[in-house]
Amino acid sequence: MTLAALALAEGVPPFTWFAVLALALVSLGFLGFELRKREGAGIWVLLSGVLSLLLVAAAVLRPARVNTRGVSVGAKVVVLVDESRRLLLPSEGKTRRELALRAADAVSKHFAGARVALRGFGAGELRPLVVSDALAHTNAAELSDESDFSGALNALAQEPGERPKAIVVVSDGRFSRPGATVEDAALRELSAALGAPIHTVAVSERAPRDASIRSIRSSGATVAHQALALTIEIGCGGGLGCGEVPVTARELRQGVEPFVLAQGVAKMTGETATVELSITLERAGARLVEVSIEPPEGDAIPENNTRILTFSVTRDRLRLLHVAGRPTYDVRALRMWLKSDESIDLIAFFILRTDEDNTETSEDSELALIPFPVDELFTEHLPSFDAVILQDIDAVTYKLSRHLPALANYVRGGGGLIMVGGPSAFAGGGYARSPLENVLPVELSGSGGQPFDTADFVPRYTEAGRSAPVLRGLTQLFADELPTFSGSNTLGAARANSITLWEHPDRRAGRGAMPVLALGESGDGRSIALGVDGTHALAFSEFADRAAGRAYGALWDGLVGWLMRDPRYEALRLELAGPCIAGLPASLRLVRLPGSTGDVSLQLTRLGPQRTPVLTKSVKDPAPGPLELELGALEVGGYSASARVGAAPPTRFDFACERGGPAWSDSRPDPERLARIAKLSGGRAVSVTQVTDLPVPDPIEVAAERSSVPLLPAWAWTLAASLALGGHWYARRRQGLL
Amino acid sequence: MAGRFTRRAALTVPLSLWSTRAFAFGDGGAFHPRLLRAGNNPPLGVRASGAGRWSWELVRRTSAPARLVASDVAADQPALQAEPFVIWAGETDPGPLSAAEVRGLTRFIRLGGVLVVDDTQPASGAFGRGAKRELSRVLPESAPVRLDPGHVLFKTFYIVDRPVGRVLGPPEISGIVRGKNTQVIFLEHDLLGALARSGEGFALETEPGGLEQREHAVRLAVNIAMYVLCSDYKDDQVHAPFLMRRRARQKP
Repeated sequence: MTLAALALAEGVPPFTWFAVLALALVSLGFLGFELRKREGAGIWVLLSGVLSLLLVAAAVLRPARVNTRGVSVGAKVVVLVDESRRLLLPSEGKTRRELALRAADAVSKHFAGARVALRGFGAGELRPLVVSDALAHTNAAELSDESDFSGALNALAQEPGERPKAIVVVSDGRFSRPGATVEDAALRELSAALGAPIHTVAVSERAPRDASIRSIRSSGATVAHQALALTIEIGCGGGLGCGEVPVTARELRQGVEPFVLAQGVAKMTGETATVELSITLERAGARLVEVSIEPPEGDAIPENNTRILTFSVTRDRLRLLHVAGRPTYDVRALRMWLKSDESIDLIAFFILRTDEDNTETSEDSELALIPFPVDELFTEHLPSFDAVILQDIDAVTYKLSRHLPALANYVRGGGGLIMVGGPSAFAGGGYARSPLENVLPVELSGSGGQPFDTADFVPRYTEAGRSAPVLRGLTQLFADELPTFSGSNTLGAARANSITLWEHPDRRAGRGAMPVLALGESGDGRSIALGVDGTHALAFSEFADRAAGRAYGALWDGLVGWLMRDPRYEALRLELAGPCIAGLPASLRLVRLPGSTGDVSLQLTRLGPQRTPVLTKSVKDPAPGPLELELGALEVGGYSASARVGAAPPTRFDFACERGGPAWSDSRPDPERLARIAKLSGGRAVSVTQVTDLPVPDPIEVAAERSSVPLLPAWAWTLAASLALGGHWYARRRQGLL
Repeated sequence: MAGRFTRRAALTVPLSLWSTRAFAFGDGGAFHPRLLRAGNNPPLGVRASGAGRWSWELVRRTSAPARLVASDVAADQPALQAEPFVIWAGETDPGPLSAAEVRGLTRFIRLGGVLVVDDTQPASGAFGRGAKRELSRVLPESAPVRLDPGHVLFKTFYIVDRPVGRVLGPPEISGIVRGKNTQVIFLEHDLLGALARSGEGFALETEPGGLEQREHAVRLAVNIAMYVLCSDYKDDQVHAPFLMRRRARQKP
C-alpha cells in the first residue's frame, strides 16, 4: 500500500509558518486598503500582488511531495479467562474451567487474523495463560477465591503500550467485582477506560441443583463472652426444592467433640432464605466456627453445605477468677497485682474462716463474711471466666472436688488454669488422682510421699526457662537469679505437651529434677503449675527491693499473658502461606522472634476428639528468617498447629481447610451480568458454542517507509517570486501607486 | 486425706521455727506484726507482747496463718523490706528520723508496705504528732486524711462501727492513701496496749473499760491484719449486697 501527499520542506519550524501567514495577511490588507477606491485596471495590481505573495511564501516554505508505503496488521485483542476456583464447579460433565479454556482456544482461532493475548485473572494481577498447558494440568492451588473482573480491566488499562481494540472475557459471570447490582453507569465507566468493546463468552448458563451457604455475615467485633449475631444466607438453585433447611453452628475444639453454639431453620420462600443465629464464643484468640446445613435430596454440590470460619476473638477485659484457701502475703501480692491492671476484671473469693475458727461472735451479722459460692461459681459462671487461679485451696474441705471434672473440661475447652502452691495445693489439696490432674502440666499421682517439702531452696532455671519469652521480663531484671523459697509442693514429672521452666535443685520427679514452674497445653486450654507459695518475695523482700518490686509484675505478666496466648510471650508466629484448600498442598510460615534459636518442630492435629497428630515435622537449626513448612494435602476440617523452637514453650495456631470455600458458596452462573457488560461497552455476549459470532476488529495500517521530494528547487521558487514581485512593481507604477 | 495441711497444725509448730529466716512451707506469707524501731523512742515494754497476741487472735479467729512470736526491725535496716507490714508504736515524740531511716521507710512504702502508727498515749498525742511530722518527710507528697466510715478497714473480717483500743479514742482513723491503697494507718487508741499480755491475762486495763471494749479492739486488730493480707478484697462488688444487708440488720 502506498500513499502520496503534499507537505512542506522538512526542517521548517512551525513559527516560520505563522510568520509567513501573518505577513501575507498584512500585505493583502494593505493592498486592499490601497485599491479600495480604484476600479478597472486595479485588478492587475491585486492579481500580481497575490501571485507575488504566494511565490514568496513558496520560496520560504518550499513545498514537497511525500510518498508513504505501509503494511496492514491484525488488531490487538485481549482474551481474559476467569481463573477463580469457582470454575472448578461441574458443568455438563466437565468443569466450568475446562469449558472456559476450550472457549478461549476457540476465540483465539476465531480471531486468527488479530493479535490475541490470553490472560488469566483472579484476585490480583493478570497472568499469561497457555491454554494447552492449562488444559493438560490445572494447578488448583494457583486459582483464586476471587473473580475480580474490574481489577483485571484496571490492570489492563495500566499496562504500557498499545491499547486493545477488543476485549473478550470468558467466565460464568459470577464475578466478585463488578457485583450483580452494579449500576449501568459504573459498568460504562469500567469499559470506557480502555475505549474498546467488551465481548463476553458465558461458559455456563444453567444453575446446578444445589443448596448452599451463600454468605455468612457478622455484625461488629467478636468479643469473648458477648453474643454475636451471624446472618446466614442459604441459597437453593437449579430447581431444587428446599423447603426448610436446618442450620447448625458449632465451635471446633481440640480434644473434644465440636460444641454446638446455635441451631436454626431457614425457611425457603424463593431461591434464598436468611437465618440469624446468635453465638457466644467464650475464649479469646483464633476460634473456628463450622456452619453447616442439611440439604434436601438431590443436592449436586455437597462441598458448599459447610463453611468453616475463623473468628479472631478479642477480649473486652480479661475476666479472671481468683480463689484462695487462706489469706497470706502471697495472696495479697497476687491480688494487688491483678487489681492494678485495669484490663483485668477480677472476681476473687478467699476463704477467711474455717469451721475450726472461733470468731467470738454471737451471730454472723457481726461478720463481714459471705458463704463461698462454690457451686454457683463452678457451674453457672465458670464459662464466663477466661482463666481460673486456684491458690493454696483444699478441694476436699471447700467442696471443690465435685466440680473438678467440669473445671477440667473448662480447661480442655479453652480456659486457662493456674494452680499456685501452698500446703493445700496440688496433692496437699486433694487434686492428685482427680480429673483436674489430667489437665495440669505435671503429674501428681506418682509424686508419692509427703505433699510438700519444707526445706528452703532456690529454684533453678531450665534451658527452656532461660529462653522462654514468658520469663524474659524476669530474666531481664535478675538474669538467672531467683529468691529463696521456704519449701515446695511435691510435683511429679512434666506431662507430654508440657514444659518445665524452673526446677528444684535437689528434689527429683521420675528421672529428672522436680518441676517447680511448668506450663502445659490441654485440649484448647493452657495450664500453669507453680509449686511454691512465695513469689511475693519478688514483690516485697530485700531481693525484690533491688528491682523496686517490678520482678513480680514481670513474672505474672508473662504467666497470665502466656496463659491467654498473648503473642508477646510466644516464641513463634505462625500463619498460613496461602489459603488452605482441602486436597491441595498447604504450607505454614513460621516467623521466629528475635532471640529464639534452635531446632524447629511442628505437630499438626485435627480439631476434634481425635488426639493423634496428622503430621509431625522438625527442621534442624534452620537459618534465620521466616521458615515455610509443607503440610501436604489436608482434608476438610479444622487444624491446630503446635510449633516449638528450641526448648521454648510451643506456640499454637488454629486454621481451617475447606473444599470449596467462599468461591463455591454461590454455584449459579450469571450470564445476565455478562450480557449487561457486553451491551454497555458496545460488545457482544455469546455462549461457548457461539464464539464465531464475535465481530473481528478491523486491522491497523502501520507506516513502514516514507520519502519527501521538493516540488521545485529552492532557487526556482526564489526566481519566480522575484519575477512576480517585478511584475507587481510594474503594475503598481502603471496605476500610480508608487 | 493424709498429709493435708491444717491450721491447727500451724499452731502446733514449735516456736523455734518461727524465726525471721526459716519458715515452714506455707508460713513464708504468714501475717507477721513487726515492731518498728525508728527515732529515739524508748522500748515499748509490756506492749511489745501485744504483737504476738495480735497474731494469736488472728490464727484463732480466722483462716489466716500468722507468726506468733513478733520481732522488731529498725527503719534503717534492709530487713525492713523483708515483709510488707510493720507497727510503729510509742508514747513520746520520736524525734527526727535519721536520713537512713527516712530512706528505709520511703523504700518500704514505695514497695507497697503497710505501716500502722499506734499512739500508746493518745491523751497527750505527742507520739502521733511526731510520727506524722516525720512521715511527712518520708512521703512529702501525701498528707494524712480521715478514712471514710465505709472504708474497707471496717469490714475486712468483722463489721466494725468505730475503732477502739485500750482507750476509746476518737471515732475515726486517719491514714495516708497512695493510689488505691491506704499504706499508713494512724491509730490514737493504743491498740497494742489492748492486746498486751502479762502472764495469763491482759497486761493493761481498758479505759473506760469492759470486756466488750477489749473484744472490739481485738476485732479492729483482726481487721487490720486482714487488710494487710487481702487489701481491699471486701470492697469487691460481689460482697456489696451481703454487707449492706448486714449493716442494715445491725442498725436499730
